[in-house]
Amino acid sequence: GFIVKRELSQKAKLSIYSDLVNVFYEMVTALPGDQPPVVMVTHKDRYFVHVRQGGLFWVATTTADSSPFTIIEFLNRLSALVKDYCGVLNETNITENFALIYELLDEVLDYGYIQTTSSDILKNFIQTEAVSSKQFNLFDLSNVGLFGADTQQSKVAPSTAATRPIQGSREGGKSEIFVDVIERMSVVIGSNGVLMKADVEGEIRVKCYMPNCSEIRIGLNEEFSIGKSQLRGYGAAVRVDECSFHQAVRLDEFDNHRILRLSPSQGELTVMQYLLSDELPSAPPFRLFPTIERDKGGRLIVYLKLRCDLPPNSLFISPCVFNIVVSLSQELSSPDQRAELRPESRAVVWNIPRFAGGTQLSALFKLDIPDLSSASLLEVGPVSLSFELPKLTATGLQIRFLRLSPIQPSQSQRWVRYVTHSDSYTIRV
Amino acid sequence: MTVGKDVRYPTLILSFNSLNQEKYYLYLIIITINLQSQLFKLNYKIKNCSKNVVNCMQTDNLELKKLVYLYLMNYAKSQPDMAIMAVNSFVKDCEDPNPLIRALAVRTMGCIRVDKITEYLCEPLRKCLKDEDPYVRKTAAVCVAKLHDINAQMVEDQGFLDSLRDLIADSNPMVVANAVAALSEISESHPNSNLLDLNPQNINKLLTALNECTEWGQIFILDCLSNYNPKDEREAQSICERVTPRLSHANSAVVLSAVKVLMKFLELLPKDSDYYNTLLKKLSPPLVTLLSGEPEVQYVALRNINLIVQKRPEILKQEIKVFFVKYNDPIYVKLEKLDIMIRLASQANIAQVLAELKEYATEVDVDFVRKAVRAIGRCAIKVEQSAERCVSTLLDLIQTKVNYVVQEAIVVIRDIFRKYPNKYESIIATLCENLDSLDEPDARAAMIWIVGEYAERIDNADELLESFLEGFHDESTQVQLTLLTAIVKLFLKKPSETQELVQKVLSLATQDSDNPDLRDRGYIYWRLLSTDPVTAKEVVLSEKPLISEETDLIEPTLLDELICHIGSLASVYHKPPSAFVEGSHGVHRKHLPVQHSSIDTGESPVSGGPAAAMDQPHVIPSQGDLLGDLLNLDLGPPVNVPQVSSMQMGAVDLLGGGLDSLLGGDLGGGVGGSPAVGQNFIPSSVPSTFAPSPTPAPAAAVSSGLNDLFELSTGMAITTGGYIAPKAVWLPAVKAKGLEISGTFSRRQGHMYMDMTFTNKALQHMTDFAVQFNKNSFGMIPTSPLPIHTPLMPSQSIEASLPLNTIGPVMKMDPLNNLQVKTHTLAQWGKRQVFLATWKDIPNENELQYQIKECHLNADTVSGKLQNNNIYTIAKRNVEGQDMLYQSLKLTNGIWILAELRIQPGNPNYTLSLKCRAPEVSQYVYQMYDAVLKN
Repeated sequence: GFIVKRELSQKAKLSIYSDLVNVFYEMVTALPGDQPPVVMVTHKDRYFVHVRQGGLFWVATTTADSSPFTIIEFLNRLSALVKDYCGVLNETNITENFALIYELLDEVLDYGYIQTTSSDILKNFIQTEAVSSKQFNLFDLSNVGLFGADTQQSKVAPSTAATRPIQGSREGGKSEIFVDVIERMSVVIGSNGVLMKADVEGEIRVKCYMPNCSEIRIGLNEEFSIGKSQLRGYGAAVRVDECSFHQAVRLDEFDNHRILRLSPSQGELTVMQYLLSDELPSAPPFRLFPTIERDKGGRLIVYLKLRCDLPPNSLFISPCVFNIVVSLSQELSSPDQRAELRPESRAVVWNIPRFAGGTQLSALFKLDIPDLSSASLLEVGPVSLSFELPKLTATGLQIRFLRLSPIQPSQSQRWVRYVTHSDSYTIRV
Repeated sequence: MTVGKDVRYPTLILSFNSLNQEKYYLYLIIITINLQSQLFKLNYKIKNCSKNVVNCMQTDNLELKKLVYLYLMNYAKSQPDMAIMAVNSFVKDCEDPNPLIRALAVRTMGCIRVDKITEYLCEPLRKCLKDEDPYVRKTAAVCVAKLHDINAQMVEDQGFLDSLRDLIADSNPMVVANAVAALSEISESHPNSNLLDLNPQNINKLLTALNECTEWGQIFILDCLSNYNPKDEREAQSICERVTPRLSHANSAVVLSAVKVLMKFLELLPKDSDYYNTLLKKLSPPLVTLLSGEPEVQYVALRNINLIVQKRPEILKQEIKVFFVKYNDPIYVKLEKLDIMIRLASQANIAQVLAELKEYATEVDVDFVRKAVRAIGRCAIKVEQSAERCVSTLLDLIQTKVNYVVQEAIVVIRDIFRKYPNKYESIIATLCENLDSLDEPDARAAMIWIVGEYAERIDNADELLESFLEGFHDESTQVQLTLLTAIVKLFLKKPSETQELVQKVLSLATQDSDNPDLRDRGYIYWRLLSTDPVTAKEVVLSEKPLISEETDLIEPTLLDELICHIGSLASVYHKPPSAFVEGSHGVHRKHLPVQHSSIDTGESPVSGGPAAAMDQPHVIPSQGDLLGDLLNLDLGPPVNVPQVSSMQMGAVDLLGGGLDSLLGGDLGGGVGGSPAVGQNFIPSSVPSTFAPSPTPAPAAAVSSGLNDLFELSTGMAITTGGYIAPKAVWLPAVKAKGLEISGTFSRRQGHMYMDMTFTNKALQHMTDFAVQFNKNSFGMIPTSPLPIHTPLMPSQSIEASLPLNTIGPVMKMDPLNNLQVKTHTLAQWGKRQVFLATWKDIPNENELQYQIKECHLNADTVSGKLQNNNIYTIAKRNVEGQDMLYQSLKLTNGIWILAELRIQPGNPNYTLSLKCRAPEVSQYVYQMYDAVLKN
């Protein structure tokens, strides 16, 4: 879906020029590769800043030397806000809720000055009701991604539940709260198997659909510590290096009891972000043992053995997609598992749907490469994995409890979900 | 509701009776307006219904009201009548009991850009600024900024700016933030006024509000704080302490604004203090955190970190690992990370960095691989200990035979040879093996250079070079020039075997080429070789200056300016805002604050100095002493008056020609300069191989550079007691590759001088200064050459005083921004009657009024002061308690100016009325008055 959502920023007057949209469209499509988010337009000295969210381009224009940081951050917030108000982000939904979005924009921005992006405050001003799209359409199906595999399991809410407009609760929707702990790992393992770099970025996200909830208390692991110096107790601490909190979070109980207190606004909120660098509490989840050699027929033989070092009792990890980027390959003769060759990126992609903890998988690729020389061996490599580990956090962070006050009626539901993604998991060969 | 093709438009007007229908059709209209879609051409029909729409304003339904207002905003411009109909509603809504409606009305009012109605809106706005509800106040604050954009004068006259200033002390932080934002924006268009009035009390208020307001409000306040110059380090430290908590904010824009404030104030803190070091430590984690955002945020963050690393590498020196590239980073993020990695590379981490770079060099993306290879070379140049390892890594890469890797490697190996001569020649053989695969000019030129440089060690150097010669005319200029030089080098090293070759290349270069650079270089070599081979050897084979470690550092002065713009577009483009924002307020550049203990550049010793030594022809003009007047006063002082609006004019100025060439061509390179201009501000010491190719400075930069020359100098020097303006920076170093010129005009012994200070802020020394004046309005020319004969070393300054004369050709300049005011009394010319007659004679439309503010003098002192500056009072009257001074002056080019100065006792603001047949000079005369009276 392609839609240009125009956004007025500093100095851009309310009169919008439709040709600007075309200019932007041309610029975005003319550069198929990745381009920096700040695009300069030479005519009229107008600058575009854009981000991509939910398959849509969110564009702001400015003529002044304003801060692109502010604009990017704002566009991201705006898209989150629109998502809060309209439910799902997609083209039809936005078209249908045009007036609502316009009203939102009017409150959010005044003459290019950002006034507020808090959905709670905005709720006081917004009159228009969201037009909800149908409960199940193709877009909803495409949204199943993140927790899709769990939808069959009774313990986890269907993913569509978390993507409905916040106004929906007025009409007697279920009152629910979701607390998600999402972590992204970036790991580099050297060719000698040594862990060269390991970072974890994580965040706690709260999606609240409880109209009369005044305070949430989220308890983290008690042994949670920030920074290197303050290791507590027996050393099994859950440690992060840096931590930042949303400004609605009150931290008076954090230092002693590791409790985050906040008065949630309706919709989504990133409560806490944290970063752990250079040190994982446990061994990296996957190890690769590659063998690469040339056979007599001038073929490149790549033998990969992949181990999953998660505890054996941990459940299936699914779904897993492994991207094994092996540069330079011409023909894949005997794929051992489901694998495909991508000549344009000179890569072999090996897909593994499920992978249990403590097990091992292997693959053998034979690649026919014309003019294979010993130097070409240098060009093979690195292997990158992308995966998703549900119910696991790399840092070990856990939500100890989730208390709501005033006490909610019994039919309200609380969900706590954990997931770890690979941000960039690279193993060098 | 959906918008389909079957827009049943005709029903629109008819169905306005039912509320729901109205609502939906308004949606429709608004959607149509905003999408400007070709499908729905409703425009002409909408006009008809505008009356109905305005009637809808009376509704109490908030939702409908909002839509009507939205409609008004979009359509008022094209239908001003409709806006006028709406005025009453606005006024009424501004008094509505519901604060939401009051705010809505104020917000919409400001967006209606119809001149006729703005004046009706002043009263409601004034009320709303003092509204009891903060939501209304904050909206009203922004409305002032909107109104200022429509009619600045009115906003000032109505005193809205003062109300806005009062709002800074408001109890609601959101109101404070909006007031600050509005004031900041307004003050951008008034660079000289101190609208925001930043003083310690106000700063304190802002800091208090900072803790309470929304994240976006924090950004406004932090940006405003960064414009404040604390008076001492204690104040700077206390502000820093209160800003530091913002660094852990989740909003990256807030973090970056806080970083900007801290980076600026760090300048003021003593480097050895504990606090300074703590602060440096605190800056690094937030910068690292910025890199965990979306790629868009990462990119902007990296561009800013690039600046910060150049300014203060110590902040991130421990954090090099976070700049290691992830395989799934977008390419623009990868390239930026690579750049920062190199800047942070040091002996301590070079092993790690090299290992990473080697990995990158085998990636898939061509651009990235190239940059990685180049980065390996830069490491070698930067960290000497690693050079050996870098070279062997590069050799490994050459072995892969991947074409672009090889070519890139050869280019960087050339630089390594430059840096460490005679150390790694052993690898030349390997390089030569790849000669045939090189197809890019850069790589070919690099290879040729290597062959020429080490010709004596390469047995078949002549064959190699000859092979390039075959397709000489198809090569790019770069390769041609390098080849020419290489063959000459070869000839000087092995004269016996290569005579034929050198003759061939010289004839190719001089006779068959259209390229003047190539021809010129060819002729130079030819003559050198034919007249004096020994000298030729000295010239061509002379020892080359060392290349610097960092090849692409930003000039320090530009860097300082960019640091002040952290977080803005300028920091992403790495260009000053004036270079890309149209109509930018280039006049007031931002500077880093200067630490007070080290003031030595601020005041120029010359400005006060010469006055004492001068033998002053102090002329007391008496009535009828015409001759004396003419003799002495005609050589009056030049006055250079600021001309703010001249930025875009691109005018050629007093120093135009000289600077033109300075900025345009000559600076760039020795051979290819622009001899036609004949100006010689040429720092000729740029080493030829590494001379930047002549960079045609963009026209805009040239003209603004020229205008800068004058916009700041209110130079004016007169007889005893006369006022000599302090030196002002005419040519900032940013504009002229590191040469900064500041200066003023003075008058000593009846002669005009242009006193200048040249400062070299570049990394190389500069020589051969000369000056030429272009034709100007006053015929000003120098009477002797520029007395600078010694080379100007980096960071050295030279004082020069250039005598001037006004006998040169006169040409009227437009704009008259360098105005040499020749003051001249009217005394001999007339009595009061003549003055009056002339006053009446000049048409009234030529009369311009100005305010001279904050001047605490009485009429006599004023008159005396002005007289010292050759402005004579013809008559003085007292009308209704006010002193009226009638004065006259004449410019060297014969323009008379009559002035009436009205002084009210007790009121520090004087009114100056100027009448002149050429009203364009009045502005400058006023500024001169202002300058004289305040000194």
